[in-house]
Amino acid sequence: MDVIQNLLMGFSIALTAQNLLLAFIGSLLGTLIGVLPGIGPAAGCAMLIPLTFQMGPTGAIIMLTSLFYGTQYGGTVTSVLMNVPGEASSAITCLDGYAMAKQGRAGVALSIAAIGSFIGGTFATIALVFAAGPLTRWALEFGPVEFFALIMLGISMLTGLAGKSVIKALMMGIFGLALAMIGIDPIRGAPRFTFGRVELMDGIGFVPVIMGLFGLAEILENAERPFAQMVLARMSTLIPTRQDIRDSVGPILRGSFIGTALGLVPGITNSASSFLAYVAEKKASKHPELFGTGMIAGVAGPETANNAHANGALIPLFTLGIPSSPTIAVIMGAFMMHGLIPGPLLFKEHADVAWGVIASFYVGNVILLILNLPLIGIWVQILKIPYGILCGIIMAFMILGAYSVSNSAFDVAVMTLFGLVGYLLRKFDFPLAPVVLTLILGPLMERSLRQSLEISQGSFGIFFSSPIAAVLLVLAVLFLIAPAFKFFRKGKVVMSGDAEAA
Amino acid sequence: MVEHRISVWGRIVLLAGCVLAFVVGLSPAWAADYPQKGKSIQLIVGNAAGGPTDLGARILATGLEKELGIPVVVVNKTGANGQIQLTQVALSKPDGYTFGTVNFPVTITGYLDPTRKAAYNRKSFEPLAMHVVDPNIFAVLTKSPYKTVKDLVEAAKAKPKTITVSSGMRNDEQIGIVQLEKMTGAQFAQVSFTQGTAPSLVALLGGKIDVHCGHAADVLGHVKSGDVRVLGVMDDEESPFLPGVKTFEAQGYKDYSASSRGYLLPAGTPKEIVNILSGAMKKVMATEEHKKKMAEMGLSVRYMDAARLGKFWDETEAMVKELEPMLK
Repeated sequence: MDVIQNLLMGFSIALTAQNLLLAFIGSLLGTLIGVLPGIGPAAGCAMLIPLTFQMGPTGAIIMLTSLFYGTQYGGTVTSVLMNVPGEASSAITCLDGYAMAKQGRAGVALSIAAIGSFIGGTFATIALVFAAGPLTRWALEFGPVEFFALIMLGISMLTGLAGKSVIKALMMGIFGLALAMIGIDPIRGAPRFTFGRVELMDGIGFVPVIMGLFGLAEILENAERPFAQMVLARMSTLIPTRQDIRDSVGPILRGSFIGTALGLVPGITNSASSFLAYVAEKKASKHPELFGTGMIAGVAGPETANNAHANGALIPLFTLGIPSSPTIAVIMGAFMMHGLIPGPLLFKEHADVAWGVIASFYVGNVILLILNLPLIGIWVQILKIPYGILCGIIMAFMILGAYSVSNSAFDVAVMTLFGLVGYLLRKFDFPLAPVVLTLILGPLMERSLRQSLEISQGSFGIFFSSPIAAVLLVLAVLFLIAPAFKFFRKGKVVMSGDAEAA
Repeated sequence: MVEHRISVWGRIVLLAGCVLAFVVGLSPAWAADYPQKGKSIQLIVGNAAGGPTDLGARILATGLEKELGIPVVVVNKTGANGQIQLTQVALSKPDGYTFGTVNFPVTITGYLDPTRKAAYNRKSFEPLAMHVVDPNIFAVLTKSPYKTVKDLVEAAKAKPKTITVSSGMRNDEQIGIVQLEKMTGAQFAQVSFTQGTAPSLVALLGGKIDVHCGHAADVLGHVKSGDVRVLGVMDDEESPFLPGVKTFEAQGYKDYSASSRGYLLPAGTPKEIVNILSGAMKKVMATEEHKKKMAEMGLSVRYMDAARLGKFWDETEAMVKELEPMLK
């Protein structure tokens, strides 16, 4: 088969000593950037670009792409150990990952996350090699109309994130949507709820908000008890039990699929992928009520999905020359600076580069797995630090992270404010996950809704003229009204348990 | 541990900052010894790292370092369509050691919009040099019935507000479209894509919109592969990247619109310094190496000196003011 031959040729390029070394450097840097909150993959790649000027195109792109998916491995570490998301796409991992750390199972959580990441990344790469054509055609079906319907389906999952009270979950969902309204109107350009602050024109910073809601609020809550008595976790095994692995197989497979599929659609962020994978796990689980208390599925699903997304998002770059995220736009810039135009002709004109880079995705994922598994043993040592000291370090880490998102002290203030908000919300038993869900999806929904209406010049009929959109919207409605049916059948709302332990 | 090292580093940086602030405070800006050895120039970029503005600025900065003999440090200050960065440049010391990128026409449409409450206007800056002029294009699928700009305009006149064109928010694309509407009376259904060109290109390839209004670099690969046809370039000369594609002008429509990128200094910077810096840029931009690097990204270098950039700015501002009612 042609593909196999090309791939073998790719491996012969990717496995040269120089390219292996570059993949290793990229993976290592990516992991570190992932661990540091605030600095994301886009900034990391951009910082590295000047270094790649002197290299050949294949080596340069191998290094940048391995840095990119390396960040998805590293982002998990602080989510699990400190309840501080290292990357936005690992925010949801805080819920169950940190709960596992509290039970002394941090090592297991990180191991499963690394294995899931490996499988997710490899799955998406296989999809790139063998099914790029059909997958791309599928992605092209997603215009603003279908995009809107897909996002509505995501938002309808909101009730699935409810804790004891659906009302409280809906209130938090609305709160997230309201936060998402802050900033310049995406169509007409008028500033909304910015109170004259230029810093708010791009909307409220997502990373500072989640660091406040999860990380800082947790520390504030812990501060109610004497630190001397706080033992964050007993140290324990790093190796997942047979049961852990059995519980992770389903989530990893679903996560691979969700991440790859959503990665194909330009405009969907990988935090949306990881979040929807979490919600899907909760829906699929026999024990949705236990989510948030340290379910391995709540780590395996999203952590697989964000890596599958990272590699899946490279498919439109190779087949259409379209960057579907800011980081990939940077990588595309690197292609162009070396005189290559990503897209359909790349495989014809520069087959060696294209296949060399694709083969390096397999190699990079193996390197990352080998690199990350031993590192876990080192990371978990952090938990040996007494909590009284550790929480100070975590706070310093969060302030640094919030600041470095856009070099702005304003974001530190936002994080602090949301730390206080998060603390109060926890006290009153409001679930926090719905806020994050609508904060991620709200702007995507608004933009695609208004684009659709611009296409139809104001007619809502457009949402039913597309079969894909119609099916997705019907599914969304079913998800929304499902709890109501249960209400009539059983006389009370049986929701999926107490989700919020993070 | 890592964390401890950070705090030590923090202290060193703080100390270094204090020393630097002291030294900088003592030395007044004399044009005669510009650029002074031992100092560094800060280039504040208003766009995210890795985008065309940023990459262009970084390539230029490398050349400037050689030309001026002191470091040129690129700092990204993103947010609010450049408003945060421009505010910072406007408020910085007019000594030639801080300059910034400027994007036309969005900088102008930004401060002319009263709701944006920009803290600066034309008078807050000293134009420095133009770097890149990236004209707008209209692109359609190869299978589209529209072969020329005229086909499109006639169709839009026959059925107003049915032909969907990707547009933006008070940016070059929207200006290119409304100018065409104004001169022909045609009406398009503008669909706002404000998150870069990728989503609108996907919408074009997927057949969700009729026309992609963007730039040559967006579609180079698709033109080569035969998927996309460019109807015209909104410029007075053909694009070197799209040989054989006629300009709008050549097709009878005097519609010129481009995303233009240059550099500016805070107002009050001494003329001598402006000329030294602008002259150095001219030299860098004229080198084959620089032109080649930019061309590989689908960008053509078009240097303008400070005076010509100032004139361009004034003309563009007048044009935007005239179109203002149509930009809502």
